[in-house]
Amino acid sequence: MSDTPATIKISVKDLTKVYGTKTVLDHVSFEVQTGEFLSILGPSGCGKTTILRILIGLLEPTEGTVYKDGKDITGLSPSQRGMGIVFQNYALFENMNVQRNVEYALRFNKETKDKASGIAENLVKRVGLWEERAKKPGKLSGGQQQRVAIARTLALNPDVILFDEPMSALDVDTRLSLRKEIKDIQAEYGSTMIYITHDQEEAFAMSDRIMVMETGKIHQIATPEEIVKNPADEYVERFVLQNLQTKVDSLARFIKVRHA
Amino acid sequence: MLNRGSLHRRTGASLILKICLVIFFAVVVVLPLVRMLLYMANADIVEVLTSNNFKKATVNTLLVGLITTAITVPLAYLLAWCMERTNLKWKGLWVVLISLPMLIPSISQGTGLIILFGANGVLTNLFNLGGSIYGMHGIVIGEAMYVIPVAFLMLSDILAYEDSTPYEAAQTLGIPRFRQFCAITLPFLRRPMVSVIFAVFSLTITDYGVPLTVGGKVKVLPVLLYEQVIGQLHFAEGSVIGAVLLIPAVIAFLVDLANRDRGSNAFISRGFDTGDNKRRDILALIPCAAIGIFMLLPVLAFVVLTFVTNYPIDMSLTMAHIEKTFRVKGDIYLRNSLIISTAVGFFGVIVAMVTAYLSTRMVSPTSRLLHLLSITCMAIPGMVLGLSYALAFKGTIIYGTLAILIMVNMVHFFASPYLMFYNTMNSLNEHLEAVGLTLGVSRPRIFRDVIMPQCISTILETFSYFFVNSMITISAVVFLSNTFTKPVSLLIAQYEAQSAFLGCTAFVSLMILGCNLVLKAAVFLIKRAINRSN
Ligand SMILES: Nc1ncnc2c1ncn2[C@@H]1O[C@H](COP(=O)(O)OP(=O)(O)OP(=O)(O)O)[C@@H](O)[C@H]1O
Ligand SMILES: [Mg+2]
Repeated sequence: MSDTPATIKISVKDLTKVYGTKTVLDHVSFEVQTGEFLSILGPSGCGKTTILRILIGLLEPTEGTVYKDGKDITGLSPSQRGMGIVFQNYALFENMNVQRNVEYALRFNKETKDKASGIAENLVKRVGLWEERAKKPGKLSGGQQQRVAIARTLALNPDVILFDEPMSALDVDTRLSLRKEIKDIQAEYGSTMIYITHDQEEAFAMSDRIMVMETGKIHQIATPEEIVKNPADEYVERFVLQNLQTKVDSLARFIKVRHA
Repeated sequence: MLNRGSLHRRTGASLILKICLVIFFAVVVVLPLVRMLLYMANADIVEVLTSNNFKKATVNTLLVGLITTAITVPLAYLLAWCMERTNLKWKGLWVVLISLPMLIPSISQGTGLIILFGANGVLTNLFNLGGSIYGMHGIVIGEAMYVIPVAFLMLSDILAYEDSTPYEAAQTLGIPRFRQFCAITLPFLRRPMVSVIFAVFSLTITDYGVPLTVGGKVKVLPVLLYEQVIGQLHFAEGSVIGAVLLIPAVIAFLVDLANRDRGSNAFISRGFDTGDNKRRDILALIPCAAIGIFMLLPVLAFVVLTFVTNYPIDMSLTMAHIEKTFRVKGDIYLRNSLIISTAVGFFGVIVAMVTAYLSTRMVSPTSRLLHLLSITCMAIPGMVLGLSYALAFKGTIIYGTLAILIMVNMVHFFASPYLMFYNTMNSLNEHLEAVGLTLGVSRPRIFRDVIMPQCISTILETFSYFFVNSMITISAVVFLSNTFTKPVSLLIAQYEAQSAFLGCTAFVSLMILGCNLVLKAAVFLIKRAINRSN
C-alpha cells in the first residue's frame, strides 16, 4: 500500500462516549488509510468495542464525527455504511445452513435469488467450506464457523471490515491459518480492516499500523517497527513491548536448547 | 443528538410496544388486585378475621401446607434421585405415571380418593379398609398427589444439572458418603430446595379442589373463600380472605425472587456417571413403581366408575354415565374448555414470546419493569385472581364471555412460559440483531427468520403448558364462568357432593386427561420430528 498515494478511508474526529458519569471514549481522533490493516490493542474495558460499534453505527456517539471517504456518516444506519463486522462468538444464524447464512442478507439487498446463491456459493468455496455448505453451524468447528461469519460479511461486498477479537475463542493452529486467510482476503478484495485483538504478537504479525489504547484514550498509532523503535510513552513500552519481550524470552530459551 | 439512523428509530418503536405491554399488565394484573383490596372496605374486616371459622380455617390451611410440604419434598427428592442417579428400569414409564396428576384437575385427585377409599370405595371394599378418607389426612394425601409431580420435575431438573466433579474429588480423597452429602449435596441443594419448598407450599395452601371433596368437616381458607363467594355471594368477605391468601403467596414469591440462582446451568463441567449397581437399581424401583402405580389408581378408578352401572352393587357395563354427562351439557363444556385452552395457548405464547424478546434482547429500564410484572403473575393465587377479575370487570363487555376466561388463565399461567422464553432467548447469541442491522436486515425480520425458528421447541412446550393448565384449572375460572361459558373441569366441582354423579365426574376427569394426553403426545411427536430433521 506504500506504492500508491494513500487515501483516507475512515476518519474519526473527537469521538466521545459517555455512559451516565463514566467517560468511555474521550475525544478520540484517528484516520485509517484505504486498504490498511489497523489493529487496536488495549486492556479490557478501554473502549475498543465501543469504537467499533460507533464506526459501524450500532452505537450513537455522545460527541464526535465519523467520516468515510470524506463524507460524514455519523447519522447513517449500519447497513448504509458499506461496512461489515465479525464478532468473537460468530453470531451465526444457527437455524440456517452454511449456504443460507451467507445468502440470507443478499435477498434483502435487491439481489435476485439466482444471483444471490451464485455469490454465496463462490464465497463458501472461497473460505474452503464447500463440503460443509449444507451443514448447520452447530456441526462445525470454531474456525469453520468464523469462516462462515467472514463469508457472510463479504457477501455484501463491504470496503471496510471490522473484527472484534475474532480469534479469541480459537486454538493456536486455527488462529494461524485464519490469520493467513484474513490477510489473503484483504489482499484479494482490497478491503480496509480494523481489527481488535488481545494478542500483541498477532497485532504485530498482521498489521500495517497498531493503535494502542488505555481507558478511552489513544497512546500511540504507528507501524509495528516504529512502536518498537520509538514507543510513545512508558505505558506503550510496558503494555506492548514488555509483553512481547516476555514471549520472546520464554521461546528463546527453547530455541537455544534446540540449536545447542 | 446526531444519529437518526434506523437502529434508533426502531428502538423508539420498541419502547412504544414495551409501554403498551406495561399498560396491558397493569390492566390485567395490578388493576384487578387493587380493586379487590379496595373492595375489602365493604366488609367488616375485623369480624371476618376474628370469626371462629376463619381462625380454624387458617390453622387448617397452615397445617395442610406444612404437613404436605414435609412429606412431598423428601419423597419427590427420592423419586428424582432414582431417576437421575440410577439405571432404573422403564424410567420413561415411571416419569409418565408420576406426572399423571399434572394432567387432571386437583379436584379429580379428591374424587379419585373418594372412589378408591370412600365408604364404598374400590379399595375400601377390596381390602376391607376401615376408617374414613374425609378429613385432614384425606386433604394431605390428595394435595400430595397434586404437588408431587411438580416437586419431582423441579428436582429432577436440578439433579440433572448437578456437577459430578466435586464428588469425584471427594472420592479420591477418601471422604465418606455421608460427609460428601453434608459437604457437597446440601450446600448445592440449598437454593433450589427453597424454590421447590415454596412452590409446593403455595400450591397446596391455595388449592380448593382437594379439600372441597375430601375435607369433610376440615375447612381450609380456599374452601371458605369458595363458600363465601359461590355459596353466599359474599364478595366483600371473600375479598378479605383473598387478601389473606395473597400474603403467603407474596412472601413465597419474594423469597424465591431473592433466592433465584442467577448463575446459568450451562457451565456444568461433568454429568453423573450412574455406573453399575444392580441392587441399587432394583431398590430404586420400589418407590418409583409404588408412587407411579398409586398415581395411576385414580385414573383406573375413573375408568371403572365410568363404565360400570352402579359400583359396587351392579357391575354390568353401561354407557349411561357418559350419556348422562352429555345430558348435563358435558360436551358443550368440553368444547368451551378446548376453545379456552387453545386460545390461551395461542395468545399466551405470542405475548410471552414478545415480552421475553423485549426484556432479554432490547434491555432498558422499561424492560426490567416488564420482566417484574411478568413474573409477578406467579405470585397471585388463581382464586384471588379470579375474584379480582369478577370485581374489576363486572359490567364490562368481556364479563360473562369466554374472553375473560381466556384472559384470566393467560395471566394466571403466564410466568412459567415467560421464563422459558426468557431463558431460551437469553441463550441465543447477543449479536444477532446487530449482525442483521449491518447486513440491512431489520430487527423484525431477524426475529421472524432467526430468533423464532430457534424457539420452536419452547413455543411447543409453552403452548402445551398453557393448554394443559387451562384444561385442568378450576381456580381462577370458578368466579368468572356462567352456564354458557363454564369449562368442563368445573362440572366436577358442581357435582362433587352428589354420589349419583360420581360416574359423570369420573368420565369428565377422563375426558380432560384424554385431551391432555393427546396434546402431549402430539407435542412429543412434533418435537421428535423436528429433532430428526436437524
Ligand atoms: N451500555 C453500557 N453502559 C455503561 N457502561 C458501558 C456500556 N457498554 C460498555 N460500557 C463500559 O464501557 C467501557 C468500554 O467497554 P468496551 O466494551 O468498549 O471495552 P473493550 O475495550 O472492548 O473491552 P474488552 O477487551 O473486555 O472487550 C467498559 O468499562 C464498559 O464497562
Ligand atoms: Mg470488547
